[in-house]
Amino acid sequence: MKELIEYIAKSLVDEPAEVSVTEIEGASAVIMELRVAPGDMGRVIGRGGKVANAMRTLLRVVAAKQGKRATLEIIE
Amino acid sequence: MSQVSSIEVAGATVDAAVQDGLAKLGLTRDRVTIAVLREASRGVLGIGARDAVVRLTEIELEEPPLPGETPLSETTVETTSDDEGESYAILADLTEPTEAPLMSAPASARQRYAQQEILEMARQVLADLLVRMEVQAEIEPRIVQSKVPGEDPSLILDMQGKDLGFLIGRQGETLAALQHLLRLIVNKSTEQRANLIVDVEGYKLRRERALQKLALRIADQATRRNRRVALEPMSAYERRIIHMTLRNHPTVATESVGEGDQRKVTILPKQSFEQ
Repeated sequence: MKELIEYIAKSLVDEPAEVSVTEIEGASAVIMELRVAPGDMGRVIGRGGKVANAMRTLLRVVAAKQGKRATLEIIE
Repeated sequence: MSQVSSIEVAGATVDAAVQDGLAKLGLTRDRVTIAVLREASRGVLGIGARDAVVRLTEIELEEPPLPGETPLSETTVETTSDDEGESYAILADLTEPTEAPLMSAPASARQRYAQQEILEMARQVLADLLVRMEVQAEIEPRIVQSKVPGEDPSLILDMQGKDLGFLIGRQGETLAALQHLLRLIVNKSTEQRANLIVDVEGYKLRRERALQKLALRIADQATRRNRRVALEPMSAYERRIIHMTLRNHPTVATESVGEGDQRKVTILPKQSFEQ
């Protein structure tokens, strides 16, 4: 799941080297923390949060297959 | 023309297999197309674990690439006229990963990409996404010419495989997310806007046909009763199908009303619309 978010974020930003994803695993839920360069925030959030929500949708589906819940947080 | 090298390599992960394969071929990543034949699986308690398998195919170049110059693909796509009603005509089967994906083209080269080059790039990006989602699917790329003259063709990536229903999601939500991200990623590297469509086993095609039938039936109803009829709330994509189906209809017009999730198409007789 981490690789998925990393791949998408790196493909969308201008500074892929600044992308990092931290996976915080709980008993049933996983939190993905995505960090990007300040200038790239808009690219991973999108207008009205559309990009972030699309990533969340895919993440949810992948997590559900593994019987988990996953949330994506974009950290400033 | 030189012999194209292609090898299949196994590894603990897709990345490991790719690295190994590149070392064997003595090539860099931008000189090959990568097809993931099988993803790695950890198995349960080590049972059923298996390696990832990838196929690396050297990108064929007529000459060594010059800086700032992108090799052009040689294939041409036969375009045939669209039979009416069959909006999904298969014009090109580009499943074999022999085309250069051209992902490494410098941004300064302001070249317009041919539609089939964009389709091949998109196929590669979708394959990359599916591997990371741990989904096994065959991707069938197709180019479908638009019925509207001068409009870009639809570049369709149809996924086939076992139990892919979850990739559609409620009201096609998952498919829409996948398509949105794919478009952004591909458009960013081409600096062009392509009409990319991601589908699962022709789901959108079937849905499109069903919506076209619905539109015509409700149009009849609105005309007969001479009053406005509202459809169920739909996504922008689905509303567009209704609008397009009825755009030249002799007796009705269409209009979307409502906000957000509740936005829906209404079909109304033309006379009352003009008043």
